[in-house]
Amino acid sequence: MSMDRREFLHSAGMCLGGLATFGFPEVHFANVRQDGRLVFVLLRGGFDGLAAVVPTFDPAWRDLRGSLAADPDALLELADGFALTPGLAPLREFWERDELMVLHAMAIPYRTRSHFDGQAILETGLDGPEGSADGWLNRLLSVMEGERAGISIAAGMPRSLTGPVEVASWSPTELGVVEDAYLDRLSILYRSDEALQGRFEAALGMLDVGEEMDAMGGQPRRPGADAGSLFRAAAQLMAAPGGPNVAAMEFSGWDTHANQGVVGGNLDRQLGRLAEGLSAFREAMAEQWAGTTVVVMTEFGRTARPNGTGGTDHGTAGAGFVLGSGVARRAVVSDWPGLADNQLYENRDLAPTLDTRAVLKGVLAGTFDLTAAQADRVFPGSAGVRGMWELMT
Amino acid sequence: MSAPHIALNRFGLGARPGEAARLGDPRGWLLSQVEGGPPSLVARGSDPAASADLFRSFQAALRSGDEARVAELRREVQTHGQGEMASVLTTRVVSDRPFAERWVAFWSNHLCVSALDGFQTAFLAGAYEREAIRPHVFGRFEEMVLASARHPAMLQYLDNVRSVGPGSVAARRPRRGRGPAADALRGLNENYARELLELHTVGVNGGYEQEDVEQLARILTGWGVAGAGPERAATAGARAEELGFRFNPLLHEPGRKSVMGRTYPEGEEGGMAVIRDLARHPSTARFLAEKLATHFIDDAPPAAAIETLERTWLETEGDLRRTARTLVELDAAWDADYRKFRTPQDWFVAVLRAVDAGEAGGNFPQILQQLRHPLWGPPSPKGFGDLRREWADSDALMNRAELARTLARRAGRGLRSGRGAGTARGGGPDLRALAAVVALDAGDPLGGMLTDGSIPVDERIALAFAGPAFQWR
Repeated sequence: MSMDRREFLHSAGMCLGGLATFGFPEVHFANVRQDGRLVFVLLRGGFDGLAAVVPTFDPAWRDLRGSLAADPDALLELADGFALTPGLAPLREFWERDELMVLHAMAIPYRTRSHFDGQAILETGLDGPEGSADGWLNRLLSVMEGERAGISIAAGMPRSLTGPVEVASWSPTELGVVEDAYLDRLSILYRSDEALQGRFEAALGMLDVGEEMDAMGGQPRRPGADAGSLFRAAAQLMAAPGGPNVAAMEFSGWDTHANQGVVGGNLDRQLGRLAEGLSAFREAMAEQWAGTTVVVMTEFGRTARPNGTGGTDHGTAGAGFVLGSGVARRAVVSDWPGLADNQLYENRDLAPTLDTRAVLKGVLAGTFDLTAAQADRVFPGSAGVRGMWELMT
Repeated sequence: MSAPHIALNRFGLGARPGEAARLGDPRGWLLSQVEGGPPSLVARGSDPAASADLFRSFQAALRSGDEARVAELRREVQTHGQGEMASVLTTRVVSDRPFAERWVAFWSNHLCVSALDGFQTAFLAGAYEREAIRPHVFGRFEEMVLASARHPAMLQYLDNVRSVGPGSVAARRPRRGRGPAADALRGLNENYARELLELHTVGVNGGYEQEDVEQLARILTGWGVAGAGPERAATAGARAEELGFRFNPLLHEPGRKSVMGRTYPEGEEGGMAVIRDLARHPSTARFLAEKLATHFIDDAPPAAAIETLERTWLETEGDLRRTARTLVELDAAWDADYRKFRTPQDWFVAVLRAVDAGEAGGNFPQILQQLRHPLWGPPSPKGFGDLRREWADSDALMNRAELARTLARRAGRGLRSGRGAGTARGGGPDLRALAAVVALDAGDPLGGMLTDGSIPVDERIALAFAGPAFQWR
C-alpha cells in the first residue's frame, strides 16, 4: 500500500462527517457560529450543590446543615450571600473576569432520586427517563448541519453523545504499536460492517490528532492521572486546527453518602481537583478560549440535611456552573426557594426553581448562535421551557 | 452465525481452536453446563481466616501511621488482590463450562460491589463473588440476594455498615464526643436500601416511593460486619477469625416497619423477610427477565423472549437454574439476526481462548483497566452495561486493534517456539483453525487476508481479533 492512511481514506470516499473532516477544508455554514466550542462536564453521582455553593444568607442554613455547615469565614464570598467552598478557589479567576455564572436550585425536569434515571434525563435532554436513547449533544451536532465534530474525552461513549451522528472518542491509552498497513487492512474489513464502519474511521482520524498533539509537545495522560492533564488534553484536541467543537467529559465519585467533610474535607478537595482542571483547560485553550463555553452539571443535588453518617443522600435541586468568555456577567443565578422546612422539596431537598434545559438552551444560543427553534429541536418537548437567552452575550 | 458459534460466543466465552466442529449438539452442550453444582474456580482463593488477618493488619497499620509496615503489607494486599483476580480470569480462559461462567459474571455484575470504592471493598471483592454469588448461581435468587446483603463487601460498599437506627439504643445513648461531628455518625444512611430496590430487585419502576426507601433502610439497621475492626488484628496464639455477618441489636431501629404495603417485625428477621419478599416480587421477575434477555440476546430483545423468561421466573420463584434452561430454549436465543457487541472483558477472554492461552497472563488487570472494564471495578452500583452504544466507541475499537496486534506478536512468538495455541502439528500456525474460531461469513474479506502469504503471520492473527466479525457475539 503506497498511499499514506489519509490519502487512502480520502480515495476510498470515506470522509463522512465526524472526525474524518480532520485535515480537510472546513465547510462553513452561515447559520451557526463556526468558532463556538462547547464542553459538557458531567459530574456523575450527584454532587452536593449546597456544599459547593453555600447560601450563607439563608436564615435556616446553619441549623439545617448542622455538622456540614462550613465556617462562613473560611468560604469565598461571591455575591448576594452565596459563597464558594475553598476548594473551588480556582474558579475565582473566572469570576473576576466575568467568565463564570453559577446556577443554583437547578434540577432536571423530572423528580427522581435515582442516579441512573437522573443521568439518563440529563444526557438525553428529555423530560422523562423513557424515550429516545439519543443524547442531546448528538442532536446538537445534527441540528448544526452535521458539519461539527463531537468527541468524548476519556469517557467511552456517554449517553449525551450517542446518536446517529458519528462521534469520536479519545483516551490517552495506547495498547500497542500498529503499522499503517495493518490499519489499512482493518479499514477494509470494517467497511463490510455498517454498524461499526463510521466508528473505526473516526478512530483513524483520532490517531492523526494524536500525532499532531505529540508534534505540539502534548503530554498524553497516563490512566489514573489528575483531572488537570485530562482537561489539558481536551484543550489540545479542541484547539487543534479543525478539531472537534463539542466535547463531553465526566468525573465520578460525587455520591457522598458518608464523611463528605466540610472545609478541607473529602468533597472540598475533590471539587478542588475539578476547579484546577477547569483552570488548566482555560490556560491550555489560550486564544481559542474566546468562543468556548464549559458547562458543569450533575444528575441531582443531595439532601439538604446531613444523613446519619456525615454525608448526604440523594436529593433534588443542586448547583451547576457555566464558564466561558461569552458569559454575560458574573452572577449567581437563582430564584432561591429557601431552606426552611416548609420550603424544602418534600421537607428534605433543596427545591428546584430552574430547569437544566433552560440553562443549556441559553448556552447553545450564546455559544453557537442557535435560534430558539433550533434549541427546541435539541431538547424535544421543551418548547414551554424558556431558554435563558440572557445567560451569554 | 451457526448454532455452534452462537453457543460458543453468545452464551459462552469464545471458541477454542477446533471447538466449533467438536460441539455436536450446541443446545445440549449449554444445557449440560447448568446441571450440577456451581462452576468451580481453577485455583481456590486464599484461606478466609488468613486473608481476614491481612485485612485487619493492614487497617491497623494504616491507622497507626507506621509507613514501613503499611508498605510491607501493601505488597501482600496487592498479591492477594492479584491472586483473586487471576483465579477468576484464568477460570474464564480455560473453563469447560463457559456458559456457567458467563452466568456467574452476569449475577456478579448485577449485584456488584466496586473495587473503586476503596481498600475495604477492593480487598473483599473476590471473596464476595466467590462466597455470595457463585454458590447461588443455580439456586434461588432470594438466597443470592440475602448472601449479598449479608456479605461484608456489600455491607461496606453501599454503606449499610454505617447506618444507625435514629431510635436505636446506640443513637439514644449519651454521647462520648460532643458537637455536630459526634451527631453526624449516629443516624440512617439509605444508600443500600435504595439500590436494593432500584438495582437489585424490583427496579426503578417497581412501584416503591421515597418512604419505602427510608423504611427499608430502618429495617436493615444493625446489619453489619463481624471481625472487621482493626483492633482485632491477630494477637499471638489467638485463633484467626473470619470476616462475616453480625446483627447488632444496639444499632437496630425498634418497632415494626412497612415496605411496599407489607409490614415487617423488629429485628434481624424483619430484614430477612423483606429481602425475600423483594426478590420474589413480580416487578423483580419482569426487571430481571428483561435484563437477562438484553444481556444474552440483543440490545432490543423480542418481547416474547422477555415474557417467557418472566413466566419461568414467576412459576419457579426465581429458580436460576430453570431460568438458565428457559433462556437456552428460547427461539430468539438461536436467531442469527440478533447479536451483541462483546464487552471488553469478553473480547479479551475470547482472544485468549482462541489461542488456547491456558491462563490470563500477568498484566491482565492493567489491560482490563485500560479497556475501561476492570474486573470488579464498575463505575457505579449499577454495574457495567452491556449495550453496543456503551462499548462500541471509536477509542474502544482502536484499543482493540492495538491490543490485538500486541497479543498476536506474543502468540506469534509462541508459535515460532512450537508452543501455544492455534498451532498445528509441526509448529506452523493453523490459520484455518483461526478462521473457524472467528466464524467468518462468506464474502468477509478477512478470509482472503488470513490466507494471504504476503501478510506476516502475526499480523493476520491480529486482523482476526481486531476485525469487525470478532467484535460480536
